[in-house]
Amino acid sequence: MRIGILCSRVRVEEKWLFQALQERGAQPEWIQDEAIVFGLPTVLEQYDGILIRSLSHSRALYASQLLTAGGIPTVNAPDVIATCGDKLITSLALVRHGVPTPSVRVAFSPEAALAAMEELGYPVVLKPLNGSWGRLQAKINDRDAAEAILEHKQTLGGYTHSIFYIQEYVPKPGRDIRSFVVGGETVAAIYRTSSHWITNTARGAQASNCPITPEVDRISRAAAEAVGGGVVAVDILEAPDGRLLVSEVNHTPEFRNSVAPTGVDIPGRIADYVLEVAMKSER
Amino acid sequence: MGILCSHVRPEEKAIFRALTARGVDFDRLDEEKLFLYFHANGLAQKYSVIWSRVISHTRALYLLSVLNGWGMRTVNDYLTALTCGDKVLTTQALARHGLPTPRTAVAFGVEAALEAIEEIGYPVVLKPAVGSWGRLLSRVNDRETAEAVLAHKVALGGPGHSVFYIQEYVPKPGRDIRVLVVGDEVVYAIYRRSAHWITNTARGAEPALCPLTPDIVALALAAARAVGGGILAVDLLEDADGRLLVSEVNHTPEFHGAMRVVDVDIAGKMADYVIQLAAEKCLRPEGHEGAQRIIEIEPSCPSCPSWMKSSHRRSLC
Repeated sequence: MRIGILCSRVRVEEKWLFQALQERGAQPEWIQDEAIVFGLPTVLEQYDGILIRSLSHSRALYASQLLTAGGIPTVNAPDVIATCGDKLITSLALVRHGVPTPSVRVAFSPEAALAAMEELGYPVVLKPLNGSWGRLQAKINDRDAAEAILEHKQTLGGYTHSIFYIQEYVPKPGRDIRSFVVGGETVAAIYRTSSHWITNTARGAQASNCPITPEVDRISRAAAEAVGGGVVAVDILEAPDGRLLVSEVNHTPEFRNSVAPTGVDIPGRIADYVLEVAMKSER
Repeated sequence: MGILCSHVRPEEKAIFRALTARGVDFDRLDEEKLFLYFHANGLAQKYSVIWSRVISHTRALYLLSVLNGWGMRTVNDYLTALTCGDKVLTTQALARHGLPTPRTAVAFGVEAALEAIEEIGYPVVLKPAVGSWGRLLSRVNDRETAEAVLAHKVALGGPGHSVFYIQEYVPKPGRDIRVLVVGDEVVYAIYRRSAHWITNTARGAEPALCPLTPDIVALALAAARAVGGGILAVDLLEDADGRLLVSEVNHTPEFHGAMRVVDVDIAGKMADYVIQLAAEKCLRPEGHEGAQRIIEIEPSCPSCPSWMKSSHRRSLC
């Protein structure tokens, strides 16, 4: 099995994925996403499957579409990347599939956004549609903050920054849950604990093992299924009343901080899944 | 006289009327349709003074620098526009002249900005160094807002937005004071009243006549001198103790709001000042020789261009 790993840089995650694929008798190859020129469609016949690990959402999305059109299966599939890469589309998929999520409002003008925020009640969270690592997530505590942030987005940001995605603020117990779902199975979960309200490990949150309770398992699999399956990480909030709510689903999860606390061979599970997908579609 | 402007607002209409009434031979110069050869001072042959009503600060600065570089008189001059158009430079000039301003810091990194914000204490106001009409002013009431606003500036704004101008929030009595200074004279003061903490008329604040007290007159004149003098609007804040603080100085003031409430021919006052300036003996009337004479009279200063008026030199150095 020849598996391409498409990414800009080989980080810890990609190294582990290389090793895992090699251990399983496959031949992984790095495809540098900045070096490759894509045809329409892109036919890379030498590969049986391609694992998309580009950090840039746009690159991941277009590469997966180009490659899939050329008959090569990608993990994740283009639809999964398209859905997870845009928080609005993710929320829509979750709601459509009855997966519990925090309340969300979308507005196209600062005036409408202000009205939505005041209706939801402060604090609320404003998030850019695209973006990861908690970047530009703003907790809005009052009208002054709302006006300031909305104006900065509209004046300084590109046009997608004027699509205002407003999420109910869920007072988390100093942590959230990130679960890893691979091929329809919840393989691992961690708590991300932080004194900051943004609980991304990229922002300094500490990872520790989170037992996969039936509730965590159920909502994780439901969220993954809602966005189209594949290899995803599901961000889950624990509401004060104990309900679990899915806030985001990530299509190119980092897992360097999750292997040790959970003891789960996450890259191995991903490698198994990629090989399974490649096998199924073998030409 | 040449009047630089690309948009004719009520202010420019009033200015044109005032100049016509005074029999001034003037041209409207649309900066959008203009180009200037650096080595030929075409406009200098034709006009004795150029009055800039250019809205864009960047354009105004470049135009004034070229015109002043040719030795032309302009209203305002380049250094005044430079100082007023950038709040970091304005506050610096005001502080250097010992004038009261809100407590203000400048920072270049997010961590340093957060430190300054917490030292000044919430609420603080974050302002872009360059910008007008109250745009992108942020009242920051807590750390979460501070982090969010700073992150948005860094991620979405150009390099200028990563210069953080941090000012103590002055609890205003629902208004601020805008004072128009023309040369050595205070023409009027108005209150700008608003339920919003941003009291720009462009943001809906209502103008009302403000009596000219000796304190207002003295502070406005001092602030105008500190930034180099000319036609300037000085924004004053009244703090909780009733003390006056200078917040900003504007080098191309709008006055359509004031026109409604002030019984003074504002455009006329401005026109008289510019006419008088044009009539004054030019600093560099015949090119090089004149400039040399000025340099002999004035002590040389490495940071002031030779064409600067002596009064401006003293205040800027």
